[in-house]
Amino acid sequence: MAWHNLLFRLAWEGLQGQRGRSLLTMLAMGIGTASVVVVVSIGLVGRDYVVSLIEGVGSNLVFAYGTGIGPNPTELSFEDLDLLRERVRGVSALAPVLDDAATVPIDGEPRVVAVLGSTASYYQVRNLRMLQGRFFSDLEDRNFAKVCVISKELHRDLYGGRELHDTYLRLFDLRFRVIGVYREGVESAAALEKSEAAGLVAIVPFWTLKHVGNTRTVDVVYMQAESPETVPTVVADTKDVLISQYRNIDGYTIESLDTYLVLVKQVSDAITLGLMAIAGVSLLVAGIGVMNIMLVTVTERTRDIGIRLALGAGRRDILLQFLLEASILSLAGGVFGVGLGVGLPIWIGFINDVPIPVSGVSVVVAFGVSMLVGVFFGLYPARKAADMNIVESLSYE
Amino acid sequence: MSPLADSEPLIQLSAVSKSYGRDGVPVPALRGVDMEVQHGEFTAVMGPSGSGKSTLLHIVGLLDADYEGSYHLDGELTTGRSREELSLLRNRSIGFVFQQFHLLPQLSILENAALPALYSRTLAPAECEERARLRLEEVDLGHRLGHRPNELSSGQRQRAAIARALVNEPPLLLADEPTGALDSKTMREILELFAQLHANGATIVLITHDREVAAAAQRVVHFRDGQTLDGVA
Repeated sequence: MAWHNLLFRLAWEGLQGQRGRSLLTMLAMGIGTASVVVVVSIGLVGRDYVVSLIEGVGSNLVFAYGTGIGPNPTELSFEDLDLLRERVRGVSALAPVLDDAATVPIDGEPRVVAVLGSTASYYQVRNLRMLQGRFFSDLEDRNFAKVCVISKELHRDLYGGRELHDTYLRLFDLRFRVIGVYREGVESAAALEKSEAAGLVAIVPFWTLKHVGNTRTVDVVYMQAESPETVPTVVADTKDVLISQYRNIDGYTIESLDTYLVLVKQVSDAITLGLMAIAGVSLLVAGIGVMNIMLVTVTERTRDIGIRLALGAGRRDILLQFLLEASILSLAGGVFGVGLGVGLPIWIGFINDVPIPVSGVSVVVAFGVSMLVGVFFGLYPARKAADMNIVESLSYE
Repeated sequence: MSPLADSEPLIQLSAVSKSYGRDGVPVPALRGVDMEVQHGEFTAVMGPSGSGKSTLLHIVGLLDADYEGSYHLDGELTTGRSREELSLLRNRSIGFVFQQFHLLPQLSILENAALPALYSRTLAPAECEERARLRLEEVDLGHRLGHRPNELSSGQRQRAAIARALVNEPPLLLADEPTGALDSKTMREILELFAQLHANGATIVLITHDREVAAAAQRVVHFRDGQTLDGVA
């Protein structure tokens, strides 16, 4: 009979004596804790997830394009491209994109396929992954090679996903050798409607398309900055180049993904804060539930407490007893809540075949918070018990 | 057996008064009680209900600190002490025996009897348990250690409560109508136990309204209207 065992047993039996009420209080604590787990998970993992989506489009990426709006034509010309190459500092890779279209028969039906012309660096700048074959090289670009890489969607529709083997595609009445199949590093970037490489797309070398295609302007220029710190320099230099050519700068969009990152971080922080408030309210309600049941318990055991005090129990003996009971109540609720908060996302993810990430930090936070709630809301009832009038409590029926 | 003239009394109450405020009109329960109990005495406090004898017991038992006058226990002034100090003093110096036994129903009688020793926090739990076992054997409950109070007869319960009162070897045993809930046969058993404890040197203050119970004591103090009948007791 160790002293602490006795304390635990007393607390446990106290809870057993009112099992229904205890279970309901634990349920409330569980729901409160589960909401904390979910909210912290959303806050930490969800945000990282979205940020990684954006960064997956290409890191330190700056892009510029003419919107075609305004009194003077606002387009990027081939001369602009040369100036950008020459004058923008801090760029590690530059990839201009020409945007054209060709009609290709798919299953006997003519279909419009986007044909992009770009340099070999496009592969790196836009973070592409090769599913088959390879991307074209600088040499092929300079030599006007008639090669192309195709998106996995086009590959699926044209060739049913089969292995490439001396495969040729007819574009602009010319035979292009298909040398590779790509997918985007982060495919959901397409969902952000920021990707020209999504859908039925064939990418051919820049110089090839410039010669055989119909485009007279550059659709978009991607510039990869050397580091996150040089991103603003790249943006500013790009603007300077266009202004130096007497262009209406308002007709151009020059942006970095940082703009989107900042926005996403702000939005996700705001959402997390809002959810936190809701989780906090549900924990508060659960805590009041703990306090309520502990007050009832203290009242019911008034005579018990009187007896202990008469036998010489100190204030801390009584405090400890009831705080322990409140903590068991809220921690048991916490365990249940963590199970719920972790199990539910995993289960939903399993059903929908989408892995839903759960943050490990959230579990630790939830345990800590539920323990704190138990102690905090158990303190008032415990103090009430410890400060009882002994004579009155001894005669309590 | 008169107390030695030079020895200090165990209990010394001087001009102790207490009133209960009811609807703003104070109702006096004790009116300037002076009382002494010597070491080794077996005193019965007798009086009808409402005479103030329970209030006296609460004050002597350090359960009630809200009164006027002064109270020395074993030469130490207890009046005006803090709640924590009083609980420590109560734990060490006073063993209680109640009319309703006041055993904790969720504990075995061994655990019940060990409780005051555990609260004293001076002994290891195993030592507390050992002492409780010895006390319970002394009151013939050595074969019932693991039983819960509701599995025992009322006489056995009161004996368990007495074992609990003795576990810290307190100088004072306070009994509040200890036989009030017992039949006459069991009552005589319990009174014999008290007499035996007294013979072994225990100081006992017993409160009762029963003449037969009071007769077991060495000295009887009569109480009426918040005062001792004979003035100084």
